[in-house]
Amino acid sequence: MKPRRLTSLSRQRRWALRGSYAALAVFVVLFLVPPFHMFVTSLKTSAEISGQAANPWLVQHPTLRNYIELLANEHYRGFFLNSIKITVVVVAVSMAISILAAFSLARMRFWGSGVLAAGVFLTYLVPDSLLFIPFFQIVGKLGLINNTWGMLIVYPTLAVPFCTWIMIGYFSSIPKELDEAALIDGASWLQILFKIFIPVAMPGIIAAAIFAFTVSWGQFIYPLAYLYSADQMVLTVGIISELIRADVFEWGKIMAGSLMAAAPPVIIYAFLMDYYVSGLTAGATKG
Amino acid sequence: MTLTRRTALRTAAAAAALPLVHIRSAGAAGKLTLGLWDHWVPAGNGAMKKIIDAWAEKNKVEVGIDFITSVGNKNLLTIAAEAQSKTGHDVEAFPAWEILNNQQNLEPVDDVVEGLIKQYGAVNPVNEYLSKVGGHWMAVPSSSGTQYKPSCARISVFKNAGADVQAWFPARAEHSALADQWTWDKLLELAPQAQKAGLPFALGLGQTTDSVDFVGALFRSFGAQMVNEKGEVSVKSDTVRQALEYMAKLTKFLPPDVFSYDDASNNRALISGKAGMIFNPPSAWAVAKRDNPSVAADCWTFPTPAGPKGRFVPYLPYFWGIWSFSKNKSAAKDLLTHLAQREQVEALSTAVSGYDIPPFLAMADLKVWEQVEPPLGTVFNYPIRPFHNATPSIAALPAPPDIAVQIYNRATMTTMVAKMTQGGQSMEQVLAWAQDELEGFMR
Amino acid sequence: MSAATATLPTRIRPQAGRFTRIWRRRSTAAVLMCLPLILLLLLLVVYPAAYAIYLAMLNKRMTAFVGMGNFVFLLKRATFHLVIFQSCLFAVSAVIAKASIGFTLAHLMHVIPPNRQRLLRGLLLIPWVVPLALSTLGWWWLFDPSYSAFNWILDGIGVPQVAWLGNTGWARFSMILVNTWYGSPFFMIMYLAALKSVPHELFEAAAIDGASAWQKLRFVTLPMMRNIISITVLFSLIVTFADFTIVRILTAGGPQDTTHIFATYAFEVGIQSGDIPLGAAVSLFMLPILAVASFFILRGVMRRNREMAAG
Repeated sequence: MKPRRLTSLSRQRRWALRGSYAALAVFVVLFLVPPFHMFVTSLKTSAEISGQAANPWLVQHPTLRNYIELLANEHYRGFFLNSIKITVVVVAVSMAISILAAFSLARMRFWGSGVLAAGVFLTYLVPDSLLFIPFFQIVGKLGLINNTWGMLIVYPTLAVPFCTWIMIGYFSSIPKELDEAALIDGASWLQILFKIFIPVAMPGIIAAAIFAFTVSWGQFIYPLAYLYSADQMVLTVGIISELIRADVFEWGKIMAGSLMAAAPPVIIYAFLMDYYVSGLTAGATKG
Repeated sequence: MTLTRRTALRTAAAAAALPLVHIRSAGAAGKLTLGLWDHWVPAGNGAMKKIIDAWAEKNKVEVGIDFITSVGNKNLLTIAAEAQSKTGHDVEAFPAWEILNNQQNLEPVDDVVEGLIKQYGAVNPVNEYLSKVGGHWMAVPSSSGTQYKPSCARISVFKNAGADVQAWFPARAEHSALADQWTWDKLLELAPQAQKAGLPFALGLGQTTDSVDFVGALFRSFGAQMVNEKGEVSVKSDTVRQALEYMAKLTKFLPPDVFSYDDASNNRALISGKAGMIFNPPSAWAVAKRDNPSVAADCWTFPTPAGPKGRFVPYLPYFWGIWSFSKNKSAAKDLLTHLAQREQVEALSTAVSGYDIPPFLAMADLKVWEQVEPPLGTVFNYPIRPFHNATPSIAALPAPPDIAVQIYNRATMTTMVAKMTQGGQSMEQVLAWAQDELEGFMR
Repeated sequence: MSAATATLPTRIRPQAGRFTRIWRRRSTAAVLMCLPLILLLLLLVVYPAAYAIYLAMLNKRMTAFVGMGNFVFLLKRATFHLVIFQSCLFAVSAVIAKASIGFTLAHLMHVIPPNRQRLLRGLLLIPWVVPLALSTLGWWWLFDPSYSAFNWILDGIGVPQVAWLGNTGWARFSMILVNTWYGSPFFMIMYLAALKSVPHELFEAAAIDGASAWQKLRFVTLPMMRNIISITVLFSLIVTFADFTIVRILTAGGPQDTTHIFATYAFEVGIQSGDIPLGAAVSLFMLPILAVASFFILRGVMRRNREMAAG
């Protein structure tokens, strides 16, 4: 009786596995339709796109010209550098703010800490489409309109709440005995944070940092509103303002530029994926 | 009553804000930053920069130029940012309605514009409507980016339907008797044939400028007013009904997705060889020349059709305004005066294959429109010429500008057409909706 | 720290001691560590939000205070009723779609051994990783009336072409589709993380007891995941409600205003038509709707947390 049941279980499992692979493959195909079409378009010349002679899902005369011309374009390279520059700094600043705050909220408690922990998430209730008008004044007073660094003021509002929330969850999952023992040994709170919590919480930190990266790399409204000269723009807004001229769209280049702009996050996810999932596992579920 | 009081107040406020008379002889010096329109023709920015650099050199002014795109309304966001934070460029390029929206933050430029009018004669009346507030010019009408949106048709499509557009509007400075055939009724007569030939007229009914401008011109040539010049809602009128009825008939022969058109959709339809005509400046033709040359060689640009009340061609200007927080207003005024001179206007317009329309009517004879090809003379009739018997117009005129700006930007007219044709509502439902919507604009 | 205090000269020790004492007092240190966050929230969220509320109470030219005038005005406009309806329709259907697809994907993925998930996970995450403004441009291109590659396929199989963005129904469908495409991977990854935290023994036990797949889902997985589902749904609901990019790029609100949502309508009213106070008022309408949703969702989360802590 027992052995038969096990074989049927394992057979069941094998079928479930095959079914999952098949279903996921279907989803992969569906999800990748737009990126695939973007890729195909990026290999076409403007003439081939306008001509519409053949199947739009295939290329007649593939060319890398769009990519080469973009890489040779000083502005495009500048957008890329600006995006990297501002994203790296925003991630660092956001993580510093989030880690300190999350540690304090998860472990130390003070008057109002409960409200703050719950409330931090609610800052998303104030949408960026509302904030960007008041930000005109704040960014303007600081003299940072049309300055890539102005984004350093506004991007953390998007990243910090989620990162703090993930980190509170992660820190809460660390056994209390660990810091209590350290406290008895005379360690200060900062020592506990840096010597114990940060190393242990690395997956959570990476997960939160990836989130901050994704958000600041892809932000659209703020740079659209505040950056207007080519030397200050980031990729999202740069591609749109450089490659679309009034009613003329250079589709091949737009697609090539977008795909190249998507490359850094894709690479980062490819390498850090395992941390991302395990970081979220501990962080998000305990929140 | 309220209107007169408001106008009076505004005049008083503007007069109080008027600074001491600008002294031309003071000469320019110091620093000047400009936020200009990023021209769709790449050569446009270069030509502009060359002219400004030469002026800066001569006048010992340090000039910084940013070319700001209108894609994604980026220029509007920049204008809002600078108006809100009271910092930024000295001179900014403002699209049509933005002078009215930013009047409290702009420096009056009566001296500059009056001087130019003395020099070159009348300015396009739409400019006055859009930038003269309480009797004061709040900005200098610019040529850069200023456009008409006449008919741009495929010669062969019209020919197959029995209409010779090159005979209607030849590339010669003369009125052809045939030109009078080009009416909205004629367009309605040709539309089904073009559709049958697989090249329908790609006339947008979306919510962006190309769509609004075309329907606005149609309304005007039917004498249909949404709100009259006194600021009273006048949408429930026979002329509006006639215009809507006409559009209901026409829409049947347009592509099904015209309701989602933006300013680029009609261009793409033409360039891809799928449209018999569009209402657009020659930008679509210029791209076709690059990407689909056989289509470009088959294009002819000429005024919009005439209606019972005349021929109205959509006109969408740009302005150069000086922010009231600018630190160097006298240099800014000198530069704007320089840029508006015929020599500069001609150089700029020539650099962009004639896309730019000079604000002064007397400048409608630049050589560039005769020279551009293929086919030779294709944009000869792009600017309104005296023998066209046409009037430049902007949608929602003659409503008071404060109300018109909302009719225009909220695309009330195209929405009415869409509600009736695509949405299947009755004429009276649509008029009731419009009445309510327009009353909302009176606030 | 204590070692440092011990070596300090006696003269300043009391002072240093007081400082150390204050620092070592939990709450002071805690507040200091939270200070950057608190400052960020106050200066860059609370203050601008308050300013926006003030702005929303001014007249069009920002010269007079009109109190609730703008809100009352909006509530009387038929177009604005449409915007409220559409925002809810858009956000609710997109979130339901994203949550269901994400849930399905996470479950399918969970069946596969972790070391072989990497490639599939990576490919499925691509929609979430590409900057939204740029991928939406890619979608727009697929929907374009003259060049639509979708319509080319429809032509090929003899189905009439679809005006993807030109017809109210299809335009609404398209924007929900793009948002779902973009957001599903995020749900997948969050749920996958949650699934991993469900102790494996629970599934084994259920399997040995002969529980069906549905029973496992109903009695093991769902109860364990309820909090993460709630939080993810709430986060997504807020972000989807506030979406600007997708609708702005795809339809800009058309046809006939039937795809406008709060953010795009606020942009059209505030920036395009030059009525910034009214635009701010439009954006502010999101707040009460979302606050109510947050209240209920977070209350549930906290109650379950308390039950868990008690149990």
